[in-house]
Amino acid sequence: MSKYELPENFGYKDVNILKQFITETGKIIPARVTGVTASNQRKLTKNIKIARFLALIPYTDMHK
Amino acid sequence: MKKYEAVIILNPNLSSKADDFIKDFKKLLEANTFNIVKQEDVGRRQLSYSINNHNKGHYLLFNIEGDPSKLIEIENKIKYNESIIRHLFISVKTHSGEDSQLLLDSKNKKNEPEEVVEKLEKVKQPEENKIEKSQPEEDLKPKVSDTKDEDNSEEKDDKDE
Repeated sequence: MSKYELPENFGYKDVNILKQFITETGKIIPARVTGVTASNQRKLTKNIKIARFLALIPYTDMHK
Repeated sequence: MKKYEAVIILNPNLSSKADDFIKDFKKLLEANTFNIVKQEDVGRRQLSYSINNHNKGHYLLFNIEGDPSKLIEIENKIKYNESIIRHLFISVKTHSGEDSQLLLDSKNKKNEPEEVVEKLEKVKQPEENKIEKSQPEEDLKPKVSDTKDEDNSEEKDDKDE
């Protein structure tokens, strides 16, 4: 139904999954928009922040 | 014993020496009573943002287990290694024995280039046909513009009079 699909297990290395849950500008999309459960949203934000640190995902679209 | 995942991003200019680095890193781990459960050499990958003016990085992943107090010593040695542009140790509950998505992606990319070349050749041929078709149209356009110019010149002449 929705374009946001989350598998049971995911981590910071699953870049293609995490990219669904950030905007074009790199922000994390709120759970009220994506309909993700609260516990999964906590997992998502943790993993997105790790992936950002490892330069797998951008922090913003203003990087040079 | 605690389980960790280590991610190390090497300087892309030294990626040919990655095997040497892996050997050294293994020695360092074993000297500090760490076991390597699994290691993955993802290879060069585009960084999402530049780190120390590098746009690419050579990613290495390790599943390791060992004593938490020794990990600090390993990290202290890694900190001052200039061939590493970024590193991360994360404690995990269990090691997933499967290959990571990063490794799978890099393998797919290595296989793809041949297919891409074939696709490009196919794409090129239709483009040539298009160019041939478009040429007659280009011939038409100048004529139209010519007539417009003539109209304009006539108008100007009228105004001058």
